[in-house]
Amino acid sequence: MLLIRSLIVTLLIVCASIVLSNGQGKAPKQGLSLSEKVQNLLDMNAKKSVLKLNGNKFREYVKQSPRNYSVIIMLTALAPSRQCSICRHAHDEYTIVANSYRYSPVYNNKLFFAMVDFDEGSDVFQMLRLNTAPVFMHFPPKGKPKAADTMDIHRVGFSAEAIAKFVQERTDIQIRVFRPPNYSGTVAVITLGALLAGFLYLRRNNLEFLYNKQLWGTLAVLFCFAMISGQMWNHIRSPPLVHKSQNGGIAYIHGSSQGQLVIETYIVMFLNAMIVIGMILLTESGYQSELRKGRIMVISGLCLVVIFFSILLSVFRSKAQGYPYSFLFK
Amino acid sequence: MNRQAKFMNRRTAGYSSLITFAVLMIAWLSGFASRLFAVIRFESIIHEFDPWFNYRATAHMVQHGFYQFLNWFDERAWYPLGRIVGGTVYPGLMITSGGIHWLLHLLNIPVHIRDICVFLAPIFSGLTAISTYLLTKELWSPGAGLFAASFIAIVPGYISRSVAGSYDNEGIAIFALQFTYFLWVRSVKTGSVFWAAMAALSYFYMVSAWGGYVFIINLIPLHVFVLLIMGRYTPRLFTSYTTFYILGLLCSMQIPFVGFQPIRTSEHMAAMGVFALLMAVAFLKYLQSVLSKSEFKKLFIFGSLFAAIIVFAAVVLLTLMGVVAPWSGRFYSLWDTGYAKIHIPIIASVSEHQPTTWFSFFFDLHILVCAFPVGLWYCIKKVNDERVFVVLYAISAVYFAGVMVRLMLTLTPVVCMLAGIAFSGLLEVFLKEDSAPNKQSSEEADESAVEKKNMYDKAGKLKHRPKHESSHESNAGIGSNIKSIVIVAILMLLMMFAVHCTWVTSNAYSSPSIVLAFHNSQDGSRNILDDFREAYYWLSQNTADDARVMSWWDYGYQIAGMANRTTLVDNNTWNNSHIALVGKAMSSPEEKAYEIMTSLDVDYVLVIFGGVIGYSGDDINKFLWMVRIAEGEHPKDIRESDFFTERGEFRVDAEGAPALLNCLMYKLSYYRFGELKLDYRGPSGYDRTRNAVIGNKDFDLTYLEEAYTSEHWLVRIYRVKKPHEFNRPALKVNERAIPPSNYISRKTSKRRRGFIKNRPVVVKGKRSKK
Repeated sequence: MLLIRSLIVTLLIVCASIVLSNGQGKAPKQGLSLSEKVQNLLDMNAKKSVLKLNGNKFREYVKQSPRNYSVIIMLTALAPSRQCSICRHAHDEYTIVANSYRYSPVYNNKLFFAMVDFDEGSDVFQMLRLNTAPVFMHFPPKGKPKAADTMDIHRVGFSAEAIAKFVQERTDIQIRVFRPPNYSGTVAVITLGALLAGFLYLRRNNLEFLYNKQLWGTLAVLFCFAMISGQMWNHIRSPPLVHKSQNGGIAYIHGSSQGQLVIETYIVMFLNAMIVIGMILLTESGYQSELRKGRIMVISGLCLVVIFFSILLSVFRSKAQGYPYSFLFK
Repeated sequence: MNRQAKFMNRRTAGYSSLITFAVLMIAWLSGFASRLFAVIRFESIIHEFDPWFNYRATAHMVQHGFYQFLNWFDERAWYPLGRIVGGTVYPGLMITSGGIHWLLHLLNIPVHIRDICVFLAPIFSGLTAISTYLLTKELWSPGAGLFAASFIAIVPGYISRSVAGSYDNEGIAIFALQFTYFLWVRSVKTGSVFWAAMAALSYFYMVSAWGGYVFIINLIPLHVFVLLIMGRYTPRLFTSYTTFYILGLLCSMQIPFVGFQPIRTSEHMAAMGVFALLMAVAFLKYLQSVLSKSEFKKLFIFGSLFAAIIVFAAVVLLTLMGVVAPWSGRFYSLWDTGYAKIHIPIIASVSEHQPTTWFSFFFDLHILVCAFPVGLWYCIKKVNDERVFVVLYAISAVYFAGVMVRLMLTLTPVVCMLAGIAFSGLLEVFLKEDSAPNKQSSEEADESAVEKKNMYDKAGKLKHRPKHESSHESNAGIGSNIKSIVIVAILMLLMMFAVHCTWVTSNAYSSPSIVLAFHNSQDGSRNILDDFREAYYWLSQNTADDARVMSWWDYGYQIAGMANRTTLVDNNTWNNSHIALVGKAMSSPEEKAYEIMTSLDVDYVLVIFGGVIGYSGDDINKFLWMVRIAEGEHPKDIRESDFFTERGEFRVDAEGAPALLNCLMYKLSYYRFGELKLDYRGPSGYDRTRNAVIGNKDFDLTYLEEAYTSEHWLVRIYRVKKPHEFNRPALKVNERAIPPSNYISRKTSKRRRGFIKNRPVVVKGKRSKK
C-alpha cells in the first residue's frame, strides 16, 4: 500500500517536473512533447496544406520518436537550377492530394503531408541515402519506414490518384482526390468557338468557303491520316519520340509489331500522304486537257505511288518477322 | 438505226450482268476458300472461346426448340448464381444457324449442327461481298462495287473474325450491317416507304445478331443530321428516316436482351433527338410555305431557341432522375480514351480493347489503307446525299478503329468501298481504250467492260461527259506505253494485296487456338498439341456430373462447351465481383484460397501452364490481371505491389516476390515442375515461356491434389480435398481408444542435446571389426 502511494507520488513529481521544464523553454535539447508537436504541426497546417520542412524541422517532427501521427514526405528538388521537370509535376499532384485531405471531412491530426526541398535540407537526403528526386515516403507513427513505405513511382506513377492510393495503403486513411476543376480545356474550346463564330460573323457576306469541298476533303483526309498512322495509340500510350538502339545509333522505327515510336508514326503518315497524292494525280491526269501537263501528272503520280508504297512495305517488313513480300526495295 | 442501238444496249447489258454475276461468284468462292485454312490444317472444329458458348447455345436450341431456348436458365455457368441465357444473348446467330439446320433437315439433308456452325461465317462472307457491291453501286458505280466486293471477300480485317470455325456474332453481323446501310441509302435515294421498311427489318436482324447495332442507330441519325445542316432536307429524307426510326425502334425492342434500352439509354438518345429535330424541320418547312418571310423569321428564332432549351433540359433532367441511363463503360471508353485504363481493369485486360498501331492497320488492310483516303476525297468532291453517308461512315469508323483494335472490323467494309471507288476511278482513266481489252487478261477486261457501262450510268456522271470526251483524246496523247506501265503497276499492287491477304490469313488468323501446332525445328515436321481437348475430355469422363470447376474466366466457355461441367466464371464477364473472388483465390496462399474455394463449393481447379512447351498465353502470364481485378474488389487482402520484386519486376525465379512464389496459381502451375528436366544439359524446373528456373521448387500441396496433367503439361487439373482428407477431426480425450500418455516432449536447456542409443564408438585409425 505504502509502496503504491509512494510510486504515485514520484510519478506525479516526475510529471510535474517534465511539464515545468517544458514550460521553461529548455525543450529544444530533448525535443518537444508530443502534444506540442501535434499542435505546432496543426498550426502550420492551418496556413499551408503541405508543410515545408528543413533539416532541423525534419529531425524534430519526423525523425524523433514520440509520435502518434503518420507523415507523408515528398523529397524533391524544385529549384530551377536543379532542372528537375518532373519534380514540378509531382509537386502539383502532391499538392492536390494534400489539399483534398486538408479540406476533407477525414482531416485529423493523425496524418500530415510535408515536403523537403533538396536545397533546404540536403542533409535529409544524406540521412535517407537518397540521390534521386522526387521520392515519396511514408513515416509511420511507430518504428522506421520499411521498403514498402517508399512509393514506387516508376511503376504506379505519381498522379494524385496514385498518391492517394499509396496513402490509403499505408495509413488506411482514404482520401478522395478532388482536383480543382481544370478550366483550361473548357476555356480553350470556348475561345476557339468564339474565334470561329467571330470569323464567320465577319465574313457573313461571303460564306462561300464553307461550301469549299476542297477544304472539307482535306480536313477529312488529314483526320484519316492521323488515325491510320496510329496517333490515337500515341495519345493513349505516349511512347518516346525515338529509341536508342543497341549499337549506339538512334532507331526511328520500333523493332516489334506491338509498339511504335512517335517519329515512326509521322514517317508513316508522310508515306501514306504521298501515296494518296500520287493516286489522286494519276486519276486527275485523265481529266486534264493539256497534253504535256497530263503526261507529267501521270509520271509523277506513278512514281509517288510505286516508290512510297515500296518504302512503306519495307518499313512494314522490318517490323513483321518473317514477312516474305517486298516491292522494289528490300 | 434505233433498233440496232437498242440491240447493242441489250447486248452490253447482258454482258455486264454476266460479268457482275461472274465476279461476285468468284469473290464468294475465293472468300469462302481462303477462310478454310483452319479446317484443312486441323479439322472442322469450333475455335477459341466465345464461339464455344454460341455453339453450345445453338445446340441447345436445336435440341430443345426455340421457346425453350428463350427461357433457358443455365445453371452450369456462374455457379452458384446461374445465368439466364435466353435474356442475355443476341439470338440472331443461333436462329440463323438453327434455321439453316431446320431447312436442310426439311430437305432430308442430314448435316450436323456443328458443321453448320463452322461454315456459317465463310458463307456469310459471300453475302457480305454482295451487299457491299450493292451499297457501293448505290454510292458510286457498279465497277467500284465489284472492286469493293472483291476486296472485302479476302481482306484480312474481316477474315480475322470470319474464318471457318470462328462461330461468332461478327460473322453474320457485318453482312447485316452492310445490307442495312445499302437499304438505307436506297431509301434515302428513292424516298420510298418500302425501302425504309426493309432497312428497318434488316436493322432488326442486326440488333438480334450483334451489340454493334448501336453503330447503325447512331450513324444513320448522324447522316440525317448532317444532311439537315447542309440544307439538304427533302421530303424523301423525312419519309425514309421516320419510317426507319419508328419501325426499327419497335423491332429492336422485341429482342429480350435489348428490351427497353432503345428508349432509356444514352447510346440511343441521338436517334430520338434527330427524329424530333426532323419533325421540327418538316413543320418549319410547312410554315414557311404558309407564312410571310418576316413572320417566319421571328417564329424561327424564338421557336428554335425555345425547343433547344426544352430538349436540353429534358435530357439533363431525365438523366439525373435515372430514367435515362448514362453511357455504359465500354462505350464511354471510346470517347474518354483514358477512362478504361483507370476505372475498369476487366475491359482494359482484354487485348481486343487496346488502341491500334499503324502496323495493325497495314497488316489488316494493306494497300487499301493507303487508297481509301483517295476514295474519301472523291466522295467529298462529288458529294451528294448518299455520299455524305459514306463520308461520315468512314470518319467515324476510322476513329473507332483507332481507339480499339476490335473495331477494325467496322472500319474494314467502308475501307473496301472507298478503296474500290479509288481504284475504279483510277483504272477508268487508264483502261479506256478500245484496243486495250483484247490484250489484257480476262479480269481486267471485266473491269474495263464494266467501266464502259459506267458511262451510261446516271448519278452525277452526266456532267463530266464532255470532259470524258476531251480526256479521251488527250489520253491518246499520253501514249499507250505510259498507260500500260501504269496499268501494270496498279495490277502489281493489287496482286500484292491478294498475296498479302492470303499470307496473313494463313499465318495469323487461321489458328483454332484450341489445337496448337508447332513446327519441329530439326526435321521440319508439324506436331499438333491437343492438350486442351484431351483435358476437357478427361473432365467429362472422370468427374461427377455436377462437379464444379474453377478456372480463370477465359476458359469458362470451353469447359462448359467441351467438358459439360459447371464453371464459376466465364467469358460473359457480367459479374465483376465474382471474377474478382476467383482472382483472389488464385492470388492468395493455399490455406486462404481453400477458404474461398470451399465457400464456392469448388471440386476441381484447372490451370493452363505453358512452361513446358513455351506457350505464352498461359495463366502465369495473365496472372497480373487476376491480381489487378482481385485488388479492385478486395484492396485490403490483395495488393499488386506484393507480386513485384523490389525493383518492380514480375519474375518467377528465386528472386521473385514471396507473395507470388506462394500463391495458389504459382503452386498449381509449378507443382512438381521442379523435378522435371526438359533438357539433358539444362537445369531442372526451367520454364521455357519465361526463360527462367522457377524459384519455388520443392513444395507440397496440402489442400489440393493433382488429378490430371495433360501430355505437354498445358492443362493441369487439381482436385480440392474435402476437409476430412487432409485434416482428421480432433477426437475428444474421453472418446479416444488409446489414452494419451502424460509424457510431453520438451526441449529445455538441459535436454537440448539429443543422443542415439547404442551408438557405435568410432576409434580413429581403425577399421570396424566387421
